[in-house]
Amino acid sequence: MTMASEERLLLTFAVASEPGNERLALARVAEAVGGCGLSADQLERLKTAVAEATMNAIEHGNHNRADVNVDITVVDTGASVAVSITDLGGAHAPTKAAVELPDLDMKLAGLQSPRGWGLFLIQNMVDAMEVSTDGDKHTVRLMMHTAWPSEPLAQPRNPEGEPRAKQM
Amino acid sequence: MQSKCETHIRQLPNCAVIELSGEVDGSAATVLSAAYDEAVGPDHPSCVVLDFTRVDYINSTGIALIVSILARARAQERQVVASGLSEHYRQIFAITRLSDFIQLYDDVDAAAADVAVA
Repeated sequence: MTMASEERLLLTFAVASEPGNERLALARVAEAVGGCGLSADQLERLKTAVAEATMNAIEHGNHNRADVNVDITVVDTGASVAVSITDLGGAHAPTKAAVELPDLDMKLAGLQSPRGWGLFLIQNMVDAMEVSTDGDKHTVRLMMHTAWPSEPLAQPRNPEGEPRAKQM
Repeated sequence: MQSKCETHIRQLPNCAVIELSGEVDGSAATVLSAAYDEAVGPDHPSCVVLDFTRVDYINSTGIALIVSILARARAQERQVVASGLSEHYRQIFAITRLSDFIQLYDDVDAAAADVAVA
């Protein structure tokens, strides 16, 4: 993994692609970022995002194959904590257009699956998310600012990062 | 899949309480559905309280299960409220808009008292 010169590697590890291992991932990341200055709220949000991204990597990227790992790297960039979660689903990663926004009204009406909250939660938990592919590798990079406090959750955000209007 | 979620049902005068403990994730599907059936079965309460006081973890699949329970309750014209959520999970209920449909309380007593007045 290539890091910018001001970045400090905190931890790199792998988990087998077995459902449930996202809990191991979030625990190790939480331990690694302990001294980085995240507030308690930021830490809980980062843990949720890491768990969801790891779940996606296990299930959708690596198809729950226990013999395939999800690689996780935690970096202190100086201004943020960045967690990169990499699976081998680069060749079949969904495009942004293919990801359906969760709509609770539609789900309650039976017009949309009750599922589909993972990506939405990730986007609304962290300050920034970047997705990249490199051949077979698919990486989600989650960032939480430490140089200044994250804004409290005011409105949920859509994939473009724009506030979603609250539906009544 | 072995469930990491356990449930305990209590019947109160105006509502049924489902006390959840452990982890609300995909493994909780059968347990949660069965708990709902048991809670509303004998006395057909007009309100169900989901108590999360002893829940350590809720993931996106758990959110989907809660949505399913809410949809079932609404189809039966039954109210669902929740108690005991941590501040973090209250935030998640807010951004998913679950809190638009599920009134949140600090604890079961507060929920039961409010339901009794309504």
